[in-house]
Amino acid sequence: MDKPAVTLQLINLKKKIGNKEIIKGLDFEIHSGEVFGFLGPNGAGKTTTIRMMVGLIDITEGDVLIEGKSIKTDFNNAIQHVGAIVENPEMYPFLSGWKNLKQYARMVPGITDHRIHEIISLVGLEKAIHEKAGRYSLGMRQRLGIAQALLHKPSILILDEPTNGLDPSGIREIRKYIRALAEQENVSVIVSSHLLSEMELLCDRIGVIKNGQLVALEEVKTTENSTALQDVFIEAEPLAQAKEYLEMQLSTGIRLKGKELILSLQKEEIPSILKKMIGQGFDVYGVNVLQSTLEDKFFNLIGENSID
Amino acid sequence: MTNLIHLIWNEQIKLYARKSTWVMFFALAILVLASGIISRLWDSEFQTTEYGTNWQVELQEENIRLTSEMDNDELSKLSNPFQLEKNMYHIENEIKPLPYDGWQFLYDNSFFTTLISLFTIIIAAGIVSNEFKWGTIKLLLIRPISRSKILLSKYLTVLLFAFTLIFFLIAISLLTGALFFGLNNPTQTVVLEHGMGYAHGSLLNVILKDYGLSLVTLLMMASFAFMISTIFRSSSMAIGLAVTLMLAGNSIVLFASHYSWAKYILFTNTNLGQYFNGAEPMMEGMSLSFSVTILCIYLALFLMASWVAFTKRDIAGH
Repeated sequence: MDKPAVTLQLINLKKKIGNKEIIKGLDFEIHSGEVFGFLGPNGAGKTTTIRMMVGLIDITEGDVLIEGKSIKTDFNNAIQHVGAIVENPEMYPFLSGWKNLKQYARMVPGITDHRIHEIISLVGLEKAIHEKAGRYSLGMRQRLGIAQALLHKPSILILDEPTNGLDPSGIREIRKYIRALAEQENVSVIVSSHLLSEMELLCDRIGVIKNGQLVALEEVKTTENSTALQDVFIEAEPLAQAKEYLEMQLSTGIRLKGKELILSLQKEEIPSILKKMIGQGFDVYGVNVLQSTLEDKFFNLIGENSID
Repeated sequence: MTNLIHLIWNEQIKLYARKSTWVMFFALAILVLASGIISRLWDSEFQTTEYGTNWQVELQEENIRLTSEMDNDELSKLSNPFQLEKNMYHIENEIKPLPYDGWQFLYDNSFFTTLISLFTIIIAAGIVSNEFKWGTIKLLLIRPISRSKILLSKYLTVLLFAFTLIFFLIAISLLTGALFFGLNNPTQTVVLEHGMGYAHGSLLNVILKDYGLSLVTLLMMASFAFMISTIFRSSSMAIGLAVTLMLAGNSIVLFASHYSWAKYILFTNTNLGQYFNGAEPMMEGMSLSFSVTILCIYLALFLMASWVAFTKRDIAGH
């Protein structure tokens, strides 16, 4: 399979405010149909980077290319491929949802009322669309925000903290939209968040930013790789003999914690080890596999919320 | 071009979707109606005086009455000479005094343009800063439209609003005037104060000139408020500064009038009427073209500052 096309490219992107370098040279690419998670603690520079991507703030050095067009020098041609919500989805509170969408529809040629209806039903806002946006709940505003971002069929969707302030069912729904957009419409989606667990469920790839620098860039799928080592907790009796036996069988070290043995195993090794143990007459009371999550993986990278 | 029209259309929708805008129209209508009712009730005797074919004789009789009043009454000594002089001017130039009508009511209402200036300042002060307040600026500026064009659409919306209000004032004044006082031919000659004396001209011309000149202050102060709002993103600050300056303008000029640079002050030049009423210009070395040049320079400065602030600034934080 060919590698999907690059839709967005950051080239040595830097932002200086006064003498302070806030973004210290970001370089990465995003492909079509990919959900990219932009992860980092608050104050790491996520929002600043996103604002540079959409031309809300000036780029000090480097560039952002959208479908090959520079946001710096070819703003109109670059931004027309982008739909975005930057921070909260703010709407005109005195206009209805429909009139809010009409505002944005008028600013791009070729958006028909039919298209607006289509988007409204996609985000499931049919019932409330003629109510004033000021009366919307946060979840409804978030949906309206997504609707305005999708009106002009962008190839890149940028969502800054899209699940901020949503309840669990709202979060699940947003996740469903985003996955569907990427998989069915081949849209590149960039999602920023400081919540790891959420990003893990949503994204194909995650970039971790800390103090204005990219400190990691990982495919999410690799964590499910069967060759990866996982910590397995085994409760067995008699404990000391079991430890001794396993140390003979395995090359890796075995730790003892309370009544449990902790082994580092590949997923496919687990059944055979258990069979052997039972065959040797050990009583196995419980086996626990610790799911290795991004949380563990990235915790050290992100560390405390330090701003220097 | 089409998207500029779309942008202005968008701005109009946002403007008229808010109640505060309608309150302005409503307030203006109420004030005009009230002034019509008051004129009708209070001055009914004087203003509906119809002069007959012997109007010269009637005026002379009135003058005799006015002179005799002045002998008995201190107050009349102050007010009557003006009426006397005006009546004399009518007789000398053979201009029959017109009865009060809707057109003259419209002329009298031209002072409401100050209120329109105030309303326009309020709109100009909010049109950019509100987008920041609502947070919608972030959604507005990520469309394939240049920031300059968005700013231009907002400025043109302010001007359009001012013209709409003036048109509304004229319409409602004529309507009220016609209802209470009737309408005559507006091209008839009327007598007006002119410098130290009187002059005459067609009523319609006088009305057009008066309303036209009032646009100068309106345009300058609305542009000023627009600039402050764009630079500081605060509508209250823009309203406060613009209204204070508009009200204090004459005092500033008076205070600085000893100095020769006072003629470069904005407010020395906003009253272009000074070149049309036969009086001396406010300061030496001033002429109509001088004032127009100064006004254009100020306007260009205001718009330039707005443009730089709007197109170059980072849209960060709240």
